[in-house]
Amino acid sequence: MSIKTDVIIIGGGATGCGIARDLALRGVHHYLIEKGDFASGATGACHGLLHSGGRYVVNDPEAAHECITENTILRKIAQKCVETTGGLFVRLPGDSKRYRDRFLKGCDEVGIETSVLSPSKALDLVPNLNPAMEEAVMVPDCSIDPFRLCMLNAYTSRHRGGNILTHHEVIEIIKEKGVCVGVKARERLTAQIKEIRARIIINATGAWGDKLARLGGSEVPMTLSKGSLIISNHRLTNMVINRLRVPSDGDIIVPNEAVCLAGTTSITVQDPDNLEIDPAEVDLVSTQAEQMIPSFGTTRLIRAYTGVRPLLKASGTDGRSISRGFKIIDHENGMFSILGGKLTTYRLMAEKMVDVIMEKFALRTTCRTAELPLEGQDELSGYPLSKRLSNMDDIVCECELVPRRIVEQAINTMGTHYVGDIQHRTRLGMGPCQGGFCTYRALGIMQELGKVSPDLSLKILSEFLQRRFKGIRPALWGDQLREEQLVEYIYLGILNMENA
Amino acid sequence: MSTLMHDVVVIGGGISGLMASIYLAGKGYKTALISRGDPVCCLSTGCIDVLSTALNPLDGFGDLSEMHPYHLVGKKGVEQACKLFKEIMSKSPIPYVGSIRKNREILTPIGTFKTTCLVPQTMAASLGCRDEYVHVISFTGIKDFYPSYITSRLSNTGFSLYDAGVSSTLAIAARFEEKGFAADFATWITGLELPPGKVALPAVLGVNNPVAIMEEISSRINREVFEIPTLPPSIPGLRLFRALKAAFQDLGGDVFWGMPISSVERHGHIIEAVTLATSARATRVQGKAFILATGSFVSGGLFATRDSVYETVFGIPVHVPGARKDWFWNDFFTAGHPIEEAGIEVDSSFRPKQTTLENLFVCGSILARSEVMKNHCGHGLALATGLKAAKVCERKLT
Amino acid sequence: MTFEHCVRCTICVENCPVYKVEPRFPGPKQSGPDAQRFRLDGEKSVDQWVKYCSQCRRCQIACPYGVDVAEIILKAQLKYGTEHISPFTAHLFANAYHLNALGSTFAPLANKAASFKAAKAVLNLLGISREPDLPEFRFFNMERGRRRKGKGRKVAFFYGCHLNFNRPDIGWKIRDMLVAMGCRVVMPRQTCCGLPALGNGDLDMAKKYAQKNASVLTSFINKGFDVLYACTSCGLTLIQDYPGILEAPGGKKIAENTYNVNEFLHSLLQDDKENRPLGRLEKRIAYHIPCHLRALGIGYPAAKIFEQIEGLECFVLDDNCCGLAGTYGFKKRNQDIAHKLGEIASIPIRALNADAVVADCGACRMQLGHYTGLSAMDPAEIIAEAMANSINNKKKSGHGIKRLFQKTPY
Repeated sequence: MSIKTDVIIIGGGATGCGIARDLALRGVHHYLIEKGDFASGATGACHGLLHSGGRYVVNDPEAAHECITENTILRKIAQKCVETTGGLFVRLPGDSKRYRDRFLKGCDEVGIETSVLSPSKALDLVPNLNPAMEEAVMVPDCSIDPFRLCMLNAYTSRHRGGNILTHHEVIEIIKEKGVCVGVKARERLTAQIKEIRARIIINATGAWGDKLARLGGSEVPMTLSKGSLIISNHRLTNMVINRLRVPSDGDIIVPNEAVCLAGTTSITVQDPDNLEIDPAEVDLVSTQAEQMIPSFGTTRLIRAYTGVRPLLKASGTDGRSISRGFKIIDHENGMFSILGGKLTTYRLMAEKMVDVIMEKFALRTTCRTAELPLEGQDELSGYPLSKRLSNMDDIVCECELVPRRIVEQAINTMGTHYVGDIQHRTRLGMGPCQGGFCTYRALGIMQELGKVSPDLSLKILSEFLQRRFKGIRPALWGDQLREEQLVEYIYLGILNMENA
Repeated sequence: MSTLMHDVVVIGGGISGLMASIYLAGKGYKTALISRGDPVCCLSTGCIDVLSTALNPLDGFGDLSEMHPYHLVGKKGVEQACKLFKEIMSKSPIPYVGSIRKNREILTPIGTFKTTCLVPQTMAASLGCRDEYVHVISFTGIKDFYPSYITSRLSNTGFSLYDAGVSSTLAIAARFEEKGFAADFATWITGLELPPGKVALPAVLGVNNPVAIMEEISSRINREVFEIPTLPPSIPGLRLFRALKAAFQDLGGDVFWGMPISSVERHGHIIEAVTLATSARATRVQGKAFILATGSFVSGGLFATRDSVYETVFGIPVHVPGARKDWFWNDFFTAGHPIEEAGIEVDSSFRPKQTTLENLFVCGSILARSEVMKNHCGHGLALATGLKAAKVCERKLT
Repeated sequence: MTFEHCVRCTICVENCPVYKVEPRFPGPKQSGPDAQRFRLDGEKSVDQWVKYCSQCRRCQIACPYGVDVAEIILKAQLKYGTEHISPFTAHLFANAYHLNALGSTFAPLANKAASFKAAKAVLNLLGISREPDLPEFRFFNMERGRRRKGKGRKVAFFYGCHLNFNRPDIGWKIRDMLVAMGCRVVMPRQTCCGLPALGNGDLDMAKKYAQKNASVLTSFINKGFDVLYACTSCGLTLIQDYPGILEAPGGKKIAENTYNVNEFLHSLLQDDKENRPLGRLEKRIAYHIPCHLRALGIGYPAAKIFEQIEGLECFVLDDNCCGLAGTYGFKKRNQDIAHKLGEIASIPIRALNADAVVADCGACRMQLGHYTGLSAMDPAEIIAEAMANSINNKKKSGHGIKRLFQKTPY
C-alpha cells in the first residue's frame, strides 16, 4: 500500500518543520518524516539562542545580517517561544579592543542595534557578571525554545493537510529509472514499514545529510562538528551573555526557562550517532563560563548534552571558521538537500527551499511565513516564567511546574509512547532532579490513559533512565551527585528496577 | 557559648546513629545525638535489608568483598543487631517481623518483588502474595502510586480507587488517623465483594498508629491487609525514624536537631567537643567519645568536588575509587557504581584508619566499601555497625 | 542560594504540618526551592498560596542539606505582601502588641466582652477564628510590676507580649526563681519582638520594633547583663531575625548574649547542685516542644531540668506542631488548618494520661490547653513548684521562693 504526496521532507528539525509549515501555507501536500521526535538533531542540542547576529558581524557579515532580519521576524511571529531577554557582549580584561571596535562597526553596518554599557550599568542588569569586566555591549539577542518552535511549525502543517510522521526512520529511498520517487519508512515502535511516494524529496536531516543522501545515490560532503553544553540548576542571568572576542569555545551563556545553558565546544567527529561527552569538555565550558559569570564555577550543574553541527565541508579543519551559511543542493534526481545554516535562520532557509520547489512545480506562490504568527501558541504559558507560579494544583513535575492537564494534553494529542516526547513538549523531567520522580508519574498517567501497553511501561522507564543517565554522568559531582544517589536509592532500592 | 557535657556524642541521626545512641543511652550513658536534619531512612521503604543474595541473608557473607564492613561485625554481630532492633521496635507502635535466618519478599509499587529481611508489621502479609489474589486499592488523585504498574505485571490481581477527599500520601495518612475514617474505608471495601485473597494499598495507614489502623480494617473486612512502600515522601520510612528517635528520647537522650557542626575541638588524639552553628552563640557539645554516623552523599556525610571526595565533619581522609570519570559505569542499572565504595576506612575497633584519633568511632553507610546498592545491605549494615561501634565505644568509656 | 542544594528528597514535606491538612498549600518543597527557580527579579509575585505557610520552620530543621526552606518562603511571603493589598487580619495582627496593650488596659471589661457570643461573631466577621478562645488580659501586666529585683548575676528579662499582657504571673515566677538562684533581674523597657509584624507581611513595622528593642538590650549587654527570654518565638526572633532579616543594629551582639531562660536556669542549677534546689514533685507531664524551640538548636533545656526532679514523669513530644503558630491560627482562613493540627497534636498527649501539658510557648499552651482539656503550664511553673517543695522540705524560712505560691500579682 503506497501513500502518495507531492513533497516528502526527511528530518524534523527546525529546517524540516519550517519547510513543512511553508508548504502548508502555500497549499502543497506533503509528508514530514522524522526518525525520532522533533528537534532530535542539532536543533535540540544547541544553545537555544535567537542570535542578534553580533557573534558573526566581524567574520561573516552576511550571516549576521540574516540573523538580525530573522531575529526581528521571529520575535514577532513566535512570541510565545521567544523570551526577549536581550543580550550582552562582555569584554573582559585582555580581550582585544580592536575586535570590539570592529564589532561595533560591523553591528552598525549590518543593522544590529547596540548600546555600550559601563560595568556598573551591566552589573545592574546582570548582578552575577564578573565585576572585573571592562564593558558590555547590549544587543537584541533572545532565548528561544527549539522544541516548541518545531512543534508549532508542525502544528500549521497538520492543520492544513500536511502529515507528520515522527518516530519513523527512512530506510530506503525508492528509485525508478534513476529518479527518487519515494521512501520506505519504518515505524520505530511497531517495525511496520510505510511506503510513501512523492514528486520531490527533501533531505533536511542535518548531520545525517550525507548518510541519507547516499541512500538516494548522492553525496553531500560535510564536516560534522560536535558541540557540548552544560546546564546549570538555576538562572544565573536573565540576559544572554556572550564574550566580546573572536568566537571561540564556551563563550555563550543563555538563560532558558529556569536554567542556563553554557557552551559550546567544537570537536570534529565522523559519526553523528553515538556521541560521548568527555568530562574535559564539561570542565572547559565551565571554566570559560566562569570567566563571564564567576559563580558558574561553583554552581550546581544538572547535566550536559551534546549535538552535532552539520557544516558544509570546507578545506580547513576548524569547524568554527566554516561559514554557517546554508546551501541548497539539487541532486538532479528528484532529491534536494538543504544543509548548514543555524536555528535563527531556519525560516529563511525553509523559504528559499520552498521557493525552489515552487519553481519546480511551476507554481506562483508567495511565502507568508514571515508575516503570519505561528498558530497554536495560545495554549502555551509563555513568559515571564514567574507567571507559572500562580496555580500549583496537581503538578506532576514539581521541578518544572508541569501540571497534569498539560501532560495529559501532550499524551492525548500525540498518542505518544515515548517519555522523551512528553518531556520535549512539557519540560517534564528537565529540572534539577532530571525526571527522577516525575517520569514514574508520567508513565503511570500514560498507563491510566491506556496509551501505553502494560508490558512496555517498565521497558520505557528503563530506557528513559538509561538515556537520562548518559547526560548526567559527565557532570556528576557536588549536589548533582547527591541527587543521583537519591535517584538510585529510589529506582534500585525502593522500586527494585534491576529485577524488572 | 553554652557548653553541654555528655559521655557520648553521636553525630548523625540516621539508623546507624540512632542504633548506637539507643544502645548507649540504654546503658545509662549521657548521650547526645546531633543531626543536621532528618535522615535518609525517612525516604526508604522502612524495611531492613541485611543481604539479599541468598535465602538466608547471612549466607551472603561469602559473596561480599573481603573489605566489606560486615566482616568487622561478623555474622553474630549482625544477628545481635537485628535482635535488638526488633526488641526496640516491639515497644513502638510498629513492631517488625521477620527472621535474620530467612529473607522475605515485599511487593514494590511497580509490581516487582524486593528481597528484604525485617519488615514492619504492616507489610507482613506481603509475604506469599504471589500465590494469592491481591486486590490493590489506591486513592483518587494520588500522584505517586499507580496500581496499573502492578496489575499489568502480576496476573492474580485487580484494583479499585477510593476517594479519600485528599490526594497526597501524607494527607491521606492524616485522614486515616481521623475517627471513623478507617471504618468507612473498610465498609467500602466490603461493598466491593472481592474474591478471597489479600488487600494491598500504598503505605498510608497513618503515621502514628499504623498497626492498629491496619488491624481494624483487616478485622472488619475479614482478610489480610498489607502496605506497599511508595516513592518519597515515604511514610514507613518516617515511622521508622520517629520510632527510633522516640526510643532514644525516652531513654533520656538529648537531641540537637537542624544545625550543622561548625567546628571541632581536638587535643592531640582526642576530640573534646564539637560546636553547633546555631544562629548566633554557638552551642558547644562536649563528650568523652564521639561516633560519626553521617551517612553517604545523600545525607551529606561525604561530599564530592570535581575531582575528590571529602568527609564533611572532621575532614577525615576518604577512600576514593579513582578519578571522577571512574566513579560511574555507563549503565545506570549496573549493580553498584564504583563511587559506592567511597567512605572512611576503619580498623577492627571502628576507628578511622587514616587518623590517630582515639575516641572517634565510625559506623553506617559512611564506611568505605559498604556498597549499599550493590549488596542491598543498607539498613542492616547501619544497624550492625551502629551497634558494634557503640559497644566498642562503651569499652572505651569504662 | 541555598536552594541549590535541594535534591527534592521531600523530607521537608514529610515534616510540614500544614501540607498534610491543607491541600491548597503545595508544601515546603514546592513553595521554597522548587518555586524559587521561577521567581525572577523584577516580576510581580503571583504565588498567593505562600500565605498558608505558618513559618513553623520544621522544614528547615529537617532538611539535611542546609536549604533554608522556611526563609525562602518567608521572603516570598513578604514580597507578595508588599505587592498586593493585605487582608484586614494581616494588618490587625501585625499590630498585635498594640491590641494586647489595649486589651490589658481595659482588662476586666475586655475579657468579659470577648467571651460574649456576639463579640465572637463580630470578630469572626472581621476574619478572626472562633477557636481557641482569645487569651484573657491582665490589667496588672509586667510593665506595671517591679522593674528590678534581687542581687547577683545580672540578667535582663525579655518577657514578651504574652507573659506581659496575659500571664504576668508566669513572668514573675520566672523572675523570682532567678532571684532565688542569685540573680539581679531587671525588666528592661521593651516592646513587641516584632514577629507578629514579620509574619503578617509588615517588614517595616517589624524592623521598627526590632530597632527599639535592640537599642535597649544592647545597652544592657554593654553593662554586663545577659538577656533572657521565656517565649521561644521571641527568642528565635531575637537570635535569628535581629541579626538577619530585621537588620537590627547590634543584632549580632544580642544574638550572642541572649539565653533561653531554662537554658540559663539549667546552668545555674548545675552550679548549685550541692544545695539541691529542686525538690520532689509527683506529676505526669506531656512536654510539648514548641516548633520554634526546635528551631533554636539548643536542644530542650527544660527537659534537662525536669530530669532532675524526683517523682516527675516527663514525656517529650516533638513531632507535632500545635497549629496555632502565633497569630496564624487566629485567622479565619486558617481556622480549619489550626483546628486539625490542634486535634492531631493532642492525640499523643491524651494518650499519655498526663496531668498537664507543658510548653514554653504561649500559643502552644492556649491551643493545646483547648484541645486536650488539660491544664497547660509553662516549664517555669513546674520548676518553681519543685523548687518550692525543696524549700518547704528544708523548712527554711525567709527564702524568696516561698512567695512563689502567694497569689500577689506582682
